[in-house]
Amino acid sequence: MTSSDIDTADRLTRKRARMLPFLALIFVTQQISYFVEADARVRMVDHVKVGAWLLLSVVLLLALATGGFWFKPKAVRALMDDEVTRANRAEAFRIGFLATMIAGIGLYFLDQFAPMRGRETIHILVTIGIATALIVFGALERRALRDG
Amino acid sequence: MAEALGNRLLALRTEQGLTQAALAELVGVSRKTINTVENGVFIPSTLLALKLARALARPVEEVFFLEKE
Repeated sequence: MTSSDIDTADRLTRKRARMLPFLALIFVTQQISYFVEADARVRMVDHVKVGAWLLLSVVLLLALATGGFWFKPKAVRALMDDEVTRANRAEAFRIGFLATMIAGIGLYFLDQFAPMRGRETIHILVTIGIATALIVFGALERRALRDG
Repeated sequence: MAEALGNRLLALRTEQGLTQAALAELVGVSRKTINTVENGVFIPSTLLALKLARALARPVEEVFFLEKE
């Protein structure tokens, strides 16, 4: 491990902390179009949209779980995934899980008045879980990077 | 009364003329980790506390101590 690895890890960690809330925003706004244009008819474009959402969900989930930056050197990635990062990630997942459960309970209650399709329900739950974890992880990382 | 973990990391580090990055390199962690431990934002594991004490050539209880909140 060299000082250059530490500088690189520091720079990339700051970049990641800045990126996370924006990724969450992009992820959530992408979902708005999905629900606004909800229609009983299934068109080819709907399959593409669902596929894009699924792909983005998997990529974001993997980035959250592993720290991302998969093509960077191992030493740099290890520094970006040290004790503080792992603690911040665990807290982000905890809050994300809680948000998903609360949303699940809320949707279960709402279903009595406005029945939803299973696919829509899963879509909302996954989006809330991933977006919440991204925002919390980003906020904790930014706080950790603050000097003084 | 709740107890918190205090530390003299900043004082000992500056006494030895080390930057956060230099101490991070000695311990094998990121600068962010040194920063959060110094600021009391993060409570390090026993392993990290021992590594920090070793890097500063001090007994661990000289670097970390219990303080009343």
